[in-house]
Amino acid sequence: MLPTLPIPSIVRAAAAAAALLAAAAAQHGAAPAGGADWWAYRPLQRPEVPAVRAAGWVRNPVDAFVLAGLERRGLTPAREADRHALLRRVTYDLTGLPPTADEIAAFVADVSPDAYEMVVDRLLASPQHGVKWAQHWLDCVRYAETDGYERDRKKPFIWRYRDWVVDAFNADLPYGEFLHKQLAGDELPDPKVADLVATGVHRLGIWDDEPTDREQHRYDDLDGVADTAARTMLALSLGCARCHDHKKDPLSQAEYHSFLGFFENLRPQEQNARAVPVDGARERFERDLADYTAARDDATKALRVAATAAWDAMDDGGRIAAAKRALADVVASYPGERGSASRLIDEVAGQDGRNSGQVVQVPGVFGQALRFDGDDHVTVPRVVSGSFSITFFVRSEWRGGGSGNDTRWFTGTGLVDGEVPGIVRDFGVAWHSDGRVVAGTGDPETFVASGPGHHDGQWHHVAFTRDQQTGRIALYVDGVLSGDATGNKKPLEATSELTIARMHPGGRGFVGDLDEIAFHDRALAAAEVAALAHQLPGGVVAAPVIAELPAFAQLRALRRPDIETVEVLAVQEHGGDGPEAYVRLRGNVHSKGPKVSLAFPALAGGGAPAEVVPTQHSSGRRTALAQWITRPDHVLTWRVAANRVFQHHFGRGIVRSSSDFGRLGDQPTHPELLDWLATELLARGQSLKALHRLLVTSATYRMASTHDDKAAAVDPQNDGLWRFDRRRLTAEEIRDSILATTGELNLERGGPSVYPPMPKEVLATASRPDEAWGDSPPAQAARRSLYVHVKRSLAEPLLAGFDRADTDASCPVRFATVQPTQALTMLNGDFAQLQAQRFAARLLQQAQGLDAQVRLGLELVTQRPARADDAQRLLALASDLRRDHGRDDAQALQRVCLVLLNANEFVYLD
Amino acid sequence: MASIQNGFCGRTRREFLWQAGGGFASLGLTDLLSRDGFFARRDGLGVAGGEPAGPLAPKAPHHPAKAKACIFLFMYGGPSQVDTFDYKPKLYGLDGKTIDIATKGRGGSKNQGRVVGPKWRFRPYGECGHHVSDLFPHVARCVDDIAFVHSMYAESPLHGSAMLMMNSGKILSGAPCLGSWVNYGLGTENQNLPGFVVMLDQSGGPISGAKNWNSGYMPAVYQGTVLRPSGEPILDLALPEGMTPREQRRLLDTLRQQNEAHLAARPGDTDLAARIQSYELAYRMQANAPEAIDLADEPEHIRRLYGLDNPRTEDFARKCILARRLVERGVRFIQVYSGGNHNDHNWDAHGDLVHNHEKHAGDTDQPVAALLTDLKQRGLLDSTIVVWGGEFGRQPTAEYAEGTGRDHDSAGFTMWLAGGGIKGGIKVGATDELGYKAVEKPFHVKHLHATILQQMGLDPNRLSFFHAGLAQRLVGTEGAEPIRELIA
Repeated sequence: MLPTLPIPSIVRAAAAAAALLAAAAAQHGAAPAGGADWWAYRPLQRPEVPAVRAAGWVRNPVDAFVLAGLERRGLTPAREADRHALLRRVTYDLTGLPPTADEIAAFVADVSPDAYEMVVDRLLASPQHGVKWAQHWLDCVRYAETDGYERDRKKPFIWRYRDWVVDAFNADLPYGEFLHKQLAGDELPDPKVADLVATGVHRLGIWDDEPTDREQHRYDDLDGVADTAARTMLALSLGCARCHDHKKDPLSQAEYHSFLGFFENLRPQEQNARAVPVDGARERFERDLADYTAARDDATKALRVAATAAWDAMDDGGRIAAAKRALADVVASYPGERGSASRLIDEVAGQDGRNSGQVVQVPGVFGQALRFDGDDHVTVPRVVSGSFSITFFVRSEWRGGGSGNDTRWFTGTGLVDGEVPGIVRDFGVAWHSDGRVVAGTGDPETFVASGPGHHDGQWHHVAFTRDQQTGRIALYVDGVLSGDATGNKKPLEATSELTIARMHPGGRGFVGDLDEIAFHDRALAAAEVAALAHQLPGGVVAAPVIAELPAFAQLRALRRPDIETVEVLAVQEHGGDGPEAYVRLRGNVHSKGPKVSLAFPALAGGGAPAEVVPTQHSSGRRTALAQWITRPDHVLTWRVAANRVFQHHFGRGIVRSSSDFGRLGDQPTHPELLDWLATELLARGQSLKALHRLLVTSATYRMASTHDDKAAAVDPQNDGLWRFDRRRLTAEEIRDSILATTGELNLERGGPSVYPPMPKEVLATASRPDEAWGDSPPAQAARRSLYVHVKRSLAEPLLAGFDRADTDASCPVRFATVQPTQALTMLNGDFAQLQAQRFAARLLQQAQGLDAQVRLGLELVTQRPARADDAQRLLALASDLRRDHGRDDAQALQRVCLVLLNANEFVYLD
Repeated sequence: MASIQNGFCGRTRREFLWQAGGGFASLGLTDLLSRDGFFARRDGLGVAGGEPAGPLAPKAPHHPAKAKACIFLFMYGGPSQVDTFDYKPKLYGLDGKTIDIATKGRGGSKNQGRVVGPKWRFRPYGECGHHVSDLFPHVARCVDDIAFVHSMYAESPLHGSAMLMMNSGKILSGAPCLGSWVNYGLGTENQNLPGFVVMLDQSGGPISGAKNWNSGYMPAVYQGTVLRPSGEPILDLALPEGMTPREQRRLLDTLRQQNEAHLAARPGDTDLAARIQSYELAYRMQANAPEAIDLADEPEHIRRLYGLDNPRTEDFARKCILARRLVERGVRFIQVYSGGNHNDHNWDAHGDLVHNHEKHAGDTDQPVAALLTDLKQRGLLDSTIVVWGGEFGRQPTAEYAEGTGRDHDSAGFTMWLAGGGIKGGIKVGATDELGYKAVEKPFHVKHLHATILQQMGLDPNRLSFFHAGLAQRLVGTEGAEPIRELIA
C-alpha cells in the first residue's frame, strides 16, 4: 500500500505551532510588528478553532472556520458532492488529469470509511502531482524557455529548473527549503547540482540581448527578479515602489532599492549555461587526480635519473654546447626577475615588455616570478607567427572565469594572448573555468583544452606548440599532452603584440603567478616539452636521452582526469563583495539617489540592516534574504503559501489577490482560517502535501457545486464558501484531458521540452517561419502540456486560447475567458480533428456496436455512468449523419467524438 | 447573477472592477469603493441587457468619438524620413561629405558621419504645398488630407524594443498593444469579426512575432487576430475537410442540446451559458469572415484604383481593400504590415537604400493613396483614422564606409495621419536641418498613441487597466497629452 503522510493530531499541531512561534520570537528578538494596522502585517498567531452548532458536519478544523462564518450569516453548506464528481474534482486538483475508468470503478466500489482518504494519498503519491502543481508555481515565476525580443533566444537547459520544481513538489520538499534553494541555492556551503538548478528561477525573465541602454536593461531585469520574488513569496507589490514610494502600502522607494540590493551582485542574464560537476564528481576527480599525479611523478623520477646520468657524463665543453643548442631556438625569454616597475626584460633579443598596473615579483620556479592580481598585465611584441612554442610556468588558486562547456580560449582569461575579435589569424593561451588551461588559433577557430583542477596553488608547466607545415597545435601541461588539433597553416599575424595575464582586447585580468615565459621559433617535440616541464638537466638537450625510455612511454600514455559535468542555467555572482545599493530616482539607473543599506521591508517586520556573511564567490546577500523570508515567524511567507494552496483547490484564494496582500489587494474572506492554515503548515514540517491533504479531505472541499437561491441572494460571490465553485479546466488540463481521453497521453516526465505540431498559419507570423518551432515525434508531442516548449514570441494556439499565462510578468491568477475563437479551435483545429479520430478509433476497439461505443465515449469524457438521454441524443446524431449526410458508422462516430470533446461537461469541473 | 469567476475571468474582484471600469472613468466615479457597488450591480461587464455581455461588448466612450476605427499602416524596418516626406534641401549638396554629427543607431554612437544625400527629388503638392519625394507619387496627391508629424522620437534605435514601443508604448515586453487597448476600452461593434485585426507581410511576421499584437497582461480576448487576405482568413475558421456547413450545424445542434441539458442541472451559471453562446458566435464568424475578405463584389474601378491588377501592388492593394471592408463591417483596429522577416524584406535599408525603398514604396504607394481616396469617397475617412509610419526613421548619414545604407534613427522621424478628425494639409514639428533629430515640438510615441485614443473617444490619461498593483495605462503612469495641433 502507498505510504500515508505523517499527520500529527490537531492538538499536537497546535502545540507545535505555538512552540515554533515562541522559539522564533526568542531567537530573533521581538516578534516582528510591521504595519500592525493592516491584517497581513500583524504577527502570525494560532487562532482558536471556533465552536459551531452543526458540529456533525465538521471533518477537520478547516470546516469549523468555514461553518462558523456560514452560521453567522444564517447559511448552510451545500450537500456533499456525489462520488463521481468528487473523484473527478480531486483527481484534477491533485494531478491535473481525469480519473481512469479503473480508478472510478475502484472508488465507487470501495465502501470502507476511509476510501476517499486512500484516494487522496494515492494521488499525492503520484508523480503526476508535481507536474500539476509545478505549473501553478511556474506561472508565478514567469517560466518561459526563451528570452523574448528580436532573437527570442532559447534559455539553454532551463527545463532543468522546471524539472526541479516538479521534483520538489513530488518529494514534498519543506516549503522553506523550497524557497531558500531558489533564492540562494548556489550560496549553500556545498551546493548540489539541484541547488544550483533551483536558482534558475532568477533567469526566467525577458532579456533583450540588444538593449538600447544596457545598464538600464540590467536594472529592469533585476527589477523583474526582485519584484517576482516579492510578489510570489511575500505577496508584496514591491515593484510599485520602484519610481516613488508605494501609493497605498507603507513601502518606500528606499526600501525597494534596498530589497533590489540583495540581487544586485548577480551577473547579468546574458551569461550562458555553464557546466558544473555532477554530484560526487569532484571527489571522484580528486581521487583520480591523486592516482594520476603519483603515476606521473614515478615516471618523471626515472627520466630524471637517466637525464642526470647523461648530463654528469658530459664535460664542460659538452655542457656549454648543449646549453647553446638549448637556447638556439628561443627568440624571447622573460625569466621574471629582471626588469623595472614598468618594463619586463627579454634576455635574448631585447624585445622588452611594458607593464601596466602593479606587476610585483615573488619567488618563482627559478628566481623571481611575476604576480598578477586581476587588474594588471604586460604587453610584449609578438615575436612568433609561423611554427612556435610558448612555454611558461603558472600558479594560481583562482578558479577562472567562463564555463567548462565552452572552452574556446578567448572565453577565458589570457595568460599569453593575441586574440583579435572576428575570424582572423590569431592565437593565445588562456586560463579557464575550474582551473583549465586552454589554447587555440583562429581562422578557422581551433582549440585545445586541458582538464580542470590546476588552480591548486602549485606550479604547473604549460607548453603550447604550433607547427606551421602541418597546422598541428598541441597543448601540454606538466609535460603531458592535454590535446592536439589541426588548424590553419598560414602565418598568424593578426596582431603585432601579445598580452600577458589578460585577453589582448581587454577584460578582467588573470589572478596568479607566471614564470619563465619563453617563445621558441619551432614546435617542440613531446620529449623536449617533458624535459622542460620536469626541469631535467640540460633542458631540451635531454630529450634524446629520455625519448626511448619506457618511463617516457608511460608518461605519454597518461591523461589528466576530467570532471564529469552537467550543464545548468543558474546564477553566479561577481564575487564576495557586492556593490553598494542606491536609490535610483524615478527607477532610472543613471539617476543615483542616496545610498541605502541592505534591509528588509519594515512593514513585514524588517527595518534593521540585514546581517550578510559573504563567501569567497558570492556576497551572501541572497542567503540573508532567504533566511529572513523563511523565518517561522514571518508575517507573510506562510500566509502566502497557505493561501496559494487554498487558491488552487477552491478556485480562489482566501485572499483572492494571491500575490498582493497589501491595501490594493483583497481582504481575506476567512482571516482566521488563513492564519490557522499558515501555522498548520509550519507545524506539519512545512509539508505542502500535508496541507493539500488537510484541505481536500475537509467537508468544505467535498461540498457539491449546486446552486441555492437563498444563499446566492445573501452571498452572491460565495465569499463564505456555502458551496464548491465550479471551474473551467485550465489550458493544460484541457489539452492533457483530450489526450488522456483518446488514449494518446504520454506521462513521461522531465527533460527538454517538446514541440507538438504547430499550424503553419501560426508559424507564418514569425519573422523566421522556418526556424520558429521544432518537430517532435508523435509520442513526444503527446507529452503533458507542462512539457510543451514555452516560446515567448510564438504561442501554442490551443494553450494560449484557453488563457495560459503570459510569461512576461508574474501571473498569480489566470483569466478564464470564454470566446468564440476557442470554439473554432476545438471544432475545426487540426489537433481537435485528429484527436476526435483517435477517440473514435479507441471506442471502436474497446466496445462493440454504436450504442456501446457512444456510452463508453460519454463515460470517458464525463467520468460518470452514461445517462440514457445523453446517449439517445448522440445516437440520434449518428443516425442523422448516416441518413442525411452520407456518413458511414466510423465517420459518424468520429463526429460524435468531436461533439463529446466540445461538451461543457468535459471542460468544466463540478 | 455573477460569481467572481463568472464576472471577469477569475481576476480578483478589485482588478476585475478596475478593468470593467476602464471604459467608464468618464462617469466621474473616482472613488474606488463607490465603484465597487456600482459595478457589482451591473453584472460586472458594463452592458445592460442584450447579448452578448462579453468583455468585447460595445462600451460607451469617455467622450464623443471622432474616429470609429483606426487603420495603422506599419512600415516595418523604418522608412527614411529624408527620402520620403521630410524635405531637407541642404542634404543634397552635402552628399558624400563627412560632417560632425552626433548620432545613435544600431552601430552605436558616432560623432561624425558621411552624408548620404536624399536619393529622390521632392516636389510640392496640393494646396498645402507639402513636399513629397518621388517615391510616393500617389500618396503625394493626398497631402491635403494628411497631417505630417515630422518631430516623432522613440526610446530605442533597435528594432526589437522599438517595435514593442510603437505597438505597446513600452520598450519592455509584456504590455498590451494599442489595438488591445482600443478594444478593451470600446469593445467591438461586430461580434462576428475580431475587433483587432493584423495583416502581415507575405515574407513573414516582424521580429518578436506575436508580441507585436499581444494583449500582455490583459486577457487574450483583446489580442490581435492575424487575418490572412486569402484562403482561410482566421486560424481554424474553415470547416475541416469533408464537413459541410449543414452537417456542422447538425453537430452544433446536438452540442447545444447536450450543453443545455448540462446547464439545466446547474442553474444560474453564466459561464456555462456563455460557452454555449460562444459556439453560436463561432458559427456566425465562419460565415461572416470569409464574406469580409471576399473581393469578388469589388468593382473594376476599385480594383484598378488600388492596383489590384498590378502584380507589383496586388498584395498590399488586397490588404488595403480588406482594411476598408473591415472598417465598413465595424472592426475597430486594423494593422497592416508593409515588410516582414529580416533585412531587405522590410524597410530596414542598411545596404542599398535605393533598391530597398524603391521596392517597398513601389509596392505600397498606390494602394495607400487608394485607401485614402476610397475611404473619402465613401464618407468613411471622417470616421477612420489612418496612420502611416515605422518603428523609427533613418539617419541622414551613411552607416558604412561605402554605400547608401542608413542606420536607424529614433531621435527624429516622420509619421503621418489622416482622417478621423485629424486636420489635413498640415505639418507639425520639425527635425534639424539635416533631418536627424526632432528639434521643434518633439513628440514621443506616447503622444501619437494619446492622439489615436483621443480621436477614438478614449481619454488616454484615464483609460487604465489594473495590473500588478498599478492602474496601467498605454501612455504610461506619467500620462501624455494628444498632439493638439493635429486635431481638427
